[in-house]
Amino acid sequence: MTEEVNYSDAEEQLVAFKLGREEYGVSILQVVEIKRMTDITRVPHTPDYLRGVINLRGSVLPVIDLKARLNLAAQPYSDDTRIIIVKVDEISVGMIVDAVSEVMAINHANIEAPQTNTSAVAANYISGVGKLENRLVILLNLEAIIGNNQEGKAS
Amino acid sequence: MDLNQYMGMFLEESREHLQALNRCILDLESDPGNLSVLDEIFRSAHTIKGMSATMGFTAVAELTHEMENILDLLRKGTLQATPDIIDTIFKCVDTLEQLIESIGNNEENTVDTAPLIERLKALAKGEAPVSAPKTTQAASAPEQKVQSSQTTLTLTESEVSVIQEAKHKGLQAYEVQVGLRAGCLLKSARAYMVMSALDEMGDIIRSVPPVDDLEKENFELQFTVIIVTGEEGEKLQATLLSISEIDSALAVPIAISDAPAVEPAKTEAKPEVETPAVEEKHEKAPAHPSGDKKLRGGQSVRVDIDKLDTLLNLVGELVINKTRLEQIGLTHRLTDLVETIEQMDRVTTDLQNVVMKVRMVPVGQVFNRFPRMVRDLSRELNKEINLIVQGEETELDRTVIDEIGDPLVHLLRNSVDHGIEHPDERQAKGKNPVGEVRLIARHEGNNVIILVEDDGKGINPEVIKKKAVSKGLITQQEADKMDANEAVRIVFLPGFSTAEVVTDVSGRGVGMDAVKNKIESLGGMVDVETKINEGSKFKIRLPLTLAIIQALLVKVSEEIYAIPLGSIDSTINITQEDIKTIQNREVILLRGQIIPIIHLADVLNVPNQAAEKQEELFVVIVHLGEHKAGIIVDNLIGQQEIVIKSLGKLLAGIKVMAGATILGNGQVALIIDIGSLMQ
Repeated sequence: MTEEVNYSDAEEQLVAFKLGREEYGVSILQVVEIKRMTDITRVPHTPDYLRGVINLRGSVLPVIDLKARLNLAAQPYSDDTRIIIVKVDEISVGMIVDAVSEVMAINHANIEAPQTNTSAVAANYISGVGKLENRLVILLNLEAIIGNNQEGKAS
Repeated sequence: MDLNQYMGMFLEESREHLQALNRCILDLESDPGNLSVLDEIFRSAHTIKGMSATMGFTAVAELTHEMENILDLLRKGTLQATPDIIDTIFKCVDTLEQLIESIGNNEENTVDTAPLIERLKALAKGEAPVSAPKTTQAASAPEQKVQSSQTTLTLTESEVSVIQEAKHKGLQAYEVQVGLRAGCLLKSARAYMVMSALDEMGDIIRSVPPVDDLEKENFELQFTVIIVTGEEGEKLQATLLSISEIDSALAVPIAISDAPAVEPAKTEAKPEVETPAVEEKHEKAPAHPSGDKKLRGGQSVRVDIDKLDTLLNLVGELVINKTRLEQIGLTHRLTDLVETIEQMDRVTTDLQNVVMKVRMVPVGQVFNRFPRMVRDLSRELNKEINLIVQGEETELDRTVIDEIGDPLVHLLRNSVDHGIEHPDERQAKGKNPVGEVRLIARHEGNNVIILVEDDGKGINPEVIKKKAVSKGLITQQEADKMDANEAVRIVFLPGFSTAEVVTDVSGRGVGMDAVKNKIESLGGMVDVETKINEGSKFKIRLPLTLAIIQALLVKVSEEIYAIPLGSIDSTINITQEDIKTIQNREVILLRGQIIPIIHLADVLNVPNQAAEKQEELFVVIVHLGEHKAGIIVDNLIGQQEIVIKSLGKLLAGIKVMAGATILGNGQVALIIDIGSLMQ
């Protein structure tokens, strides 16, 4: 995962992960760390996708189930399940994903604007689609998913 | 509008103008008729007023406004610049300085400007000034004389012998006369820098005034030090002058006439050194009548409260990890590890206590300013009041201390204004004409109790009811149903004030509900007891700290929740049969009291609830003010000290949860907010 990747302005570094059979990516600049699955304390009166809170070295961190958030079919957690901790608009959140695959660099030229039929995920959550050899990586718009401009508290 | 970007500019300019004010007022004092100086003072005050009003610092703006009124009268010649008026204006400048410093430090404003504003108003009306109680500045060293290049101190015999001895060793004694710049803000700090600089270069024999007074800023702008040194006078002067805000430094060699063996190489230490003599006016007037406000014991360091919070978090982490190690040791039966961890346990417990203590501040820090305030208020209201303060040493968390000042000011003002009667009225009632107000702090379990008591006329529940009805706060029917205790608590409702006349002191009808809100926001409670003609007693109950609380851990299904112990009355066991239904609400009967019950599992939508109902139920009886409720939980785990953590932005404002905490096993448990649970 930590293999050396040459970085230049023309490229975007991504943390790529799996949700079901599709591959997704978020900018590495938004990722704080990646954690194994841990005990999550349920918080009542919150939306379903908000699984609860965890103890991250003494501070309390909310965790969302990314698949539930994106309305993807649920799947039991496995050994590969990871929590990616991201920071968006000063909000730190853990996102549960099925597996983290790698850190990759994608040339901006290879990122296409999202098309409505690319994925089951609502178009406003997607910022683009990256093409890498024969793989497709769906780039997520975290600002829309967890940032200030979403209604996270609606139940 | 975001004014933060102008903050730096505001602070800088304000400080400049305050310095100018200090300088000009000194000038005015020496030459009361000087109109151009008055104009300059007026301009500076006006600028400060304008700037602070724009920035929204009303306390500063209000004070400068009142100050301006006085200055205007001086300018018109209606008032003469008497020493009293000058004193008051100085006091204003000092207070403004404090206000602006607290703004600069981004602190809650703890300076009370009201008494000063009232004083200014009184002066403006041309009233004979209430002779202000003098602070200790009169005690500043009497030995100080006009600066000259002569030595000014007389030496004691032992000092003479020390100096002679030093001469034998080739050292020279100097009398160093140091003058601070007018308007210097940190006099004690500058003095300290001078002393430590001198200390490096030689041996300090004496300072006038003594070091203690220098530290307490019990001096004006000059002080004198006798030093024995191998350095030359010029070097001393140059070193001292390099310290900022030092206006002058003059090292005068002390000649001892009967020195037996003279001729050390260093005697040519230039007695003719000329330094710019400090302007005379500095000696004439007290630059800072601030006196003894900075009493310090021992050395201290100012630390950002955030850093302490971080420290506390880290200690909490350590404790959690220790608990984990403990469990590993126990499961694998590693005796050595268990023993070591026991040692570690002691250390971490001590560490936790120390960190907690670091955040604790004696409540006296807030209480200190009240005697003066009560005295000023009682004079203004023509009452005679004796304020008794007890338990100043009681310690509270820093965050609580910072917030508790305003509510106490409100309560004390109320006692002085509404509670205590005029002396003749008291005499007619057969009471001591001197009223008594008590301010008492003490520990009570995990709380600190602060009492504000007076032996005044008390609160008449009937008057309160009438007033509340006429103001539309309650209906007549509600009023009729209320007993005396409930009626008295109406004073805490928003928009209620009983004062017949709205005075400056209190009675604007914003006081008591603000007090209540503030104290509740601190996790405390306020209550009142009163007897007509015997007095009232306001009781504030505050948690020791906001960061760590005692809580009861309870289990609901597989989930663990913490209930703050402060809200818990008791825990009881009941059976299903004990639950009765009244108007479709489940209640239990406890010592003759009907208590509604709440199933925690239902409120929190706990999944996987046990299909069968337990026969024996655990009920936690909680209270919110006068209301009680029983919370049904599956199991009680035990009492524990917990560190409150915020749930973060994303979860801010969710119902029923007051925060979270981390348990010994590293799991997160949520803290129940009793207030919202019971609504």
